Amino acid sequence: MKHPLDRVNVDNAWCPGCGNFGILKLLKEVLTELGLNPKNTAIVSGIGQASKTPYYIDTHMFSSLHGRALPVATTLKASNPTLNVIAEGGDGDMYGEGGNHFIHTVRRNPNIVHIVHNNMVYGLTKGQASPTSQKGFESAVQVKGVSNEPFNPISVALALKAGFVSRVNIGNYEHAKTVLKQAFLHKGYALVDIFQPCVVFNKVNTRKWFNSNTRELEVTHDSSNLSMAMQKALEDDPIPIGIFYQSESSTFEDHFYEDEKKALFTVSHDLDTLHDLFEKY
Amino acid sequence: MKNTNIPFQATLTDPPVSLPKYYKQKSDSEGQTIDILIGGAAGSGINILENLLNKAFILNGYFVFSTKEFMSRVRGGSNTVLLRISNQPIHAPCWHVDLFVALDKNALPHVQERLTEQTLIIANESDPVLKDEQRNIMTIPMLQTAKNLGDIRYANSYVAGLLFGILKADLNILLKSVVSAFTEDTQKENETSIQEGYTYSEKLKNLSLPIIPQTSLSPKDYFHLLDGSSATGFGCILGGCNMITSYPMSPSTGVLNFMASMSKKFTILVEQSEDEIAALNMVLGGWFGGARAMTSTSGGGFALMSEAVSLSGISETPAVIYLAQRPGPATGMPTRTEQGDLNLAMHSGHGDFGRIILAPGSLEECLNYAYLAFELADRYQVPVILLSDQYLADTINMMDKVDFTAYEQRRYIVNSDTNYNRYTLNEDGISPRSVPGLGQGIVGSSSHEHDERGQSTEDYKVREIMVKKRESKIKRIVSETHAPEVQGKGSIAIIGWGSTKGAIFEALQGLNDPRLFQIHFVWVHPLNPEHLDVLKQNKTNIIIENNVSGQFADTLRGHGIHIDYHILQSNGFPFFTDLLQNELSKIIKDIK
Repeated sequence: MKHPLDRVNVDNAWCPGCGNFGILKLLKEVLTELGLNPKNTAIVSGIGQASKTPYYIDTHMFSSLHGRALPVATTLKASNPTLNVIAEGGDGDMYGEGGNHFIHTVRRNPNIVHIVHNNMVYGLTKGQASPTSQKGFESAVQVKGVSNEPFNPISVALALKAGFVSRVNIGNYEHAKTVLKQAFLHKGYALVDIFQPCVVFNKVNTRKWFNSNTRELEVTHDSSNLSMAMQKALEDDPIPIGIFYQSESSTFEDHFYEDEKKALFTVSHDLDTLHDLFEKY
Repeated sequence: MKNTNIPFQATLTDPPVSLPKYYKQKSDSEGQTIDILIGGAAGSGINILENLLNKAFILNGYFVFSTKEFMSRVRGGSNTVLLRISNQPIHAPCWHVDLFVALDKNALPHVQERLTEQTLIIANESDPVLKDEQRNIMTIPMLQTAKNLGDIRYANSYVAGLLFGILKADLNILLKSVVSAFTEDTQKENETSIQEGYTYSEKLKNLSLPIIPQTSLSPKDYFHLLDGSSATGFGCILGGCNMITSYPMSPSTGVLNFMASMSKKFTILVEQSEDEIAALNMVLGGWFGGARAMTSTSGGGFALMSEAVSLSGISETPAVIYLAQRPGPATGMPTRTEQGDLNLAMHSGHGDFGRIILAPGSLEECLNYAYLAFELADRYQVPVILLSDQYLADTINMMDKVDFTAYEQRRYIVNSDTNYNRYTLNEDGISPRSVPGLGQGIVGSSSHEHDERGQSTEDYKVREIMVKKRESKIKRIVSETHAPEVQGKGSIAIIGWGSTKGAIFEALQGLNDPRLFQIHFVWVHPLNPEHLDVLKQNKTNIIIENNVSGQFADTLRGHGIHIDYHILQSNGFPFFTDLLQNELSKIIKDIK
């Protein structure tokens, strides 16, 4: 199906039936429905199948290194706060290779949307365990099954008091759309961890598995209550989806730009001031 | 979208910017220098003493130069400050000194080799270690005086007063300098301590120290006093730097601190990153968004940045990396100096791509080339590495007046139209660079091999075209490189790069041999073969480098230059100009 945000003449590298297609569609529809100008929107991605997303959607893009989308996105937003900035990649990219950046980006609270395609497996390197793979998951490398405790991005983000913490299942499309829209409307760092199936390498956590093992947070869930959010984040049978926690506070850019936020390419330094400062030496 | 004005918009068709030249003014009188070494523990106030004396001697009409040598610890140990006081500009440290002040009993054993029979040693009267010494020693009651005033750190101001007395300098000038050197609550005690030291100097006889004649120049009116980190920082701001993202690492932190202090006056985003990997990736995010961003680091941190250097290369995102070297490998010697990371700077990052490496050797060059680093990164869309070292970063010297308006401001970014392609092919291989939100086009930057739009591709023909595009940038850069600075004429070339400049200059002045001349490289990579002709005409090429393997010599050999002699060092010290002079004189006496 055609969409005005489709990038033309592209050779899509995803497998037929991949969950990434749903996420791409979701993103295009959310940007359009929120009226966000693609010429004023940039996606920074890492490396991996999920990180190919910006090649297929007609916004600005910086396809960076494996694990490094968040630091690039943080300073892109800071250098031009008028842009809508998205950091996007997979679970191995964002939680494994880029784990340290994940922790510290949450602490910085840049006003960006962080989309993580979470299929609990490495796709592009062909089927090894990811940080979110469940215990017992067998692969060519983890031949006796995964023994490491799975990484829980929701509870980690909450422990760091992230301003917007959410998880969705791309198989529950309309719910996912509602949550992603809220993420864009949130001022500050917003995590959207998206469950998606890998149809080739993960025969355990399939589309059907995600549908039957997730449940939307109850309407009574108070997303302003951090300890309630943490309690929900630690539940795993079924896994709750939705907005766990939301609380706005001063952003990374707010701290830097005390007055008017303007793109740094319009800024020049006053050389008279520089001269005067030099004279003091 | 509204039309945005870019200040100083420029294009590649503009000729390269030119840098202002600095010539240190010289005094008419014959050069005379007194070299003073002060040794004490970390945290004992030795740095305050350095600042106080520097400022006071300048006001007294002298040129000063000071360099520290310190251990990697916060308190204790044994550190030294070398002060050179002269009626001429000073360019380098010396090993042997005229006067040594031991602030504690550990100081003397630490510097034994730097003292000659003529060196006057001043020590505290109760230090037992000195009793057996057959040297030119004078003991003074500095600790007792300080204790009487309430804190042993007043020994510093006592020593300052004593030195002013010995050198027959104006006590009132020193007393005036106290205001800026000490906190208000200790000023009275420091003044008393200075006066007591000054008075005590009158009791000392037969000092046999050289007398420094007054200079015909007025250093305080013509020169500024600062360290290499500050000069570099001024250059960065002059280059339009408005973002610095770094992980602290000695000896690069001076620039980070300087830029942070300047962020109170200028629009400069300063962020301490979680690691060096984030630091350089943040720099790339900044430039991608239209900022002029830099990072500061040393060898170990730069090693972590290698992958992002490579990303800068393929995505053609400019970057400025201030790399202040210290001895490696690994942790090495964190507070010492070396020129051991040239190879790392030249070869970091996987794959082939162009880069520029600039290694300034004086305060003026720190300022000039820090400014130029931003200009070149923007002009050619490559990573630019500003290569300094601990010695250059931390050494305090006097710098000429600067005309900040003489530095042309340029920004090589374009407004995009709807057909904009980030990697448009052209003869230079340098595509006009736009940034997101500036115009009607889409900006696509990519770490994959990509087509003109920035879309990833595995088409072998496109791959070859894009590799050639990036390679042709290097050709353009080479055609616009700066030639090495040649001082003098002769048959024996003394070649150096970066921070060795001053030591070589003074050594050659001391040797005063008409056969010798100096060739100093700031632009160390890439080299323009035409600029190396000067090295092919000499009978003898001698290279001086502060590393064990002769890394720059290897580079020159790669260009067909014959190197006859190496003077290499890797002991953590800078080159001392007196020792270097001895080394050189041994080599040249056999050259016909």
